[in-house]
Amino acid sequence: MRRPASAAPRRGASPKAGAPRPALVLTVPSETSFLGLVREVTRKMAESAGFDQGTAGRLALAVDEAATNVIEHAYAGAADREVEIRLEDRGPEFQVEVVDSGATVDPRAVPQVDLRRYVRERRTGGLGMHLMEKIMDSVTFRRSAGRNVCRLVKRKAAVARGR
Amino acid sequence: MSELTVDKRDVEDVTLLYPKGFINAHTVRLFEGEIREALQQGRFKIVVNCSGLSYIASAGLGALMGAIEEIRGSGGDLRLASLNDTVRNIFEILGFNHLYRIYPSEMDAIVSFARDGGTGS
Repeated sequence: MRRPASAAPRRGASPKAGAPRPALVLTVPSETSFLGLVREVTRKMAESAGFDQGTAGRLALAVDEAATNVIEHAYAGAADREVEIRLEDRGPEFQVEVVDSGATVDPRAVPQVDLRRYVRERRTGGLGMHLMEKIMDSVTFRRSAGRNVCRLVKRKAAVARGR
Repeated sequence: MSELTVDKRDVEDVTLLYPKGFINAHTVRLFEGEIREALQQGRFKIVVNCSGLSYIASAGLGALMGAIEEIRGSGGDLRLASLNDTVRNIFEILGFNHLYRIYPSEMDAIVSFARDGGTGS
C-alpha cells in the first residue's frame, strides 16, 4: 500500500509579519507522481511568505527539479523510498531543504550547460541543476547524518530589487 | 483532473500539439510520445501551442531538445506558440528562446511554416 504524503508543522512560535515562521515538513514517497503535490505546497508556502505568483511558481519549479534529482539519481528511480521537503519562511529569506537517504550524488559534477552542444549531442542532463541555480540565490549540497541535504535559498530583498 | 493531456491536430502539413497541464518528470513521457508519433508519421513541421501549459520543468525541455535535431535534420522544425509568462520565463532563463522560434499565436506559427518552408534555425 502506498504511504500517504504527510505534512506536519514544527516549532511552536506564532508567525509574525516579516518574522521567521514555523517550518513545514512534507514527506512523500520517491515517486514522480508526487511532484505535483510538492510543487503546489511549495508554491503556496512561497506566496504566503510574500513572493509574487511568478516568483512563487519559479521557486516551486526549482523544488520540483531538486526532488526529481533525488528520485532519478540518489534513489536511481526506486519508488519505495522517502523524500523529505522542509519549507521555511525565515523572515528575510525563504529556504527549502530537500533531503534523501540515497546514494551521494554530486550534482556539480555535471558540466556547465551549453545548449547548442546539448542539442548536437542529444544531451539533456544538467538542465534541472542549471534551472535551480538560475532561479535560486543559493543552492548548496551537504551530507548530514547519512542523508543528502540540498538547500535552496531565495532572498526576499533580491526579488524586491527585481532579481 | 489529469496532470497532462496532449491533444493533436493537423493543419495541412503542420502538426499542432496542445499540452494542457504541466510537463515534468512524471508527465513527460506522454508529451514525448506525441512528438515521437508525429515523427514516425513523417510529420516534421510541429507547433506546440502552449496556451494550456501551466509550467514546464527540465524534463519537458529535455524532450524538446531530444527531438529537435531529428526534426531539423528532416527539413522541418518545432516551433512554439502562445506561451504564458511562466513558461516564457523558464525558456528565457535557459536560453531556449534562442534555440526555438516562439510566436505569439498558433496562427503566426503555422503561417511561419508557409513563409519559410519550415527550415529550422
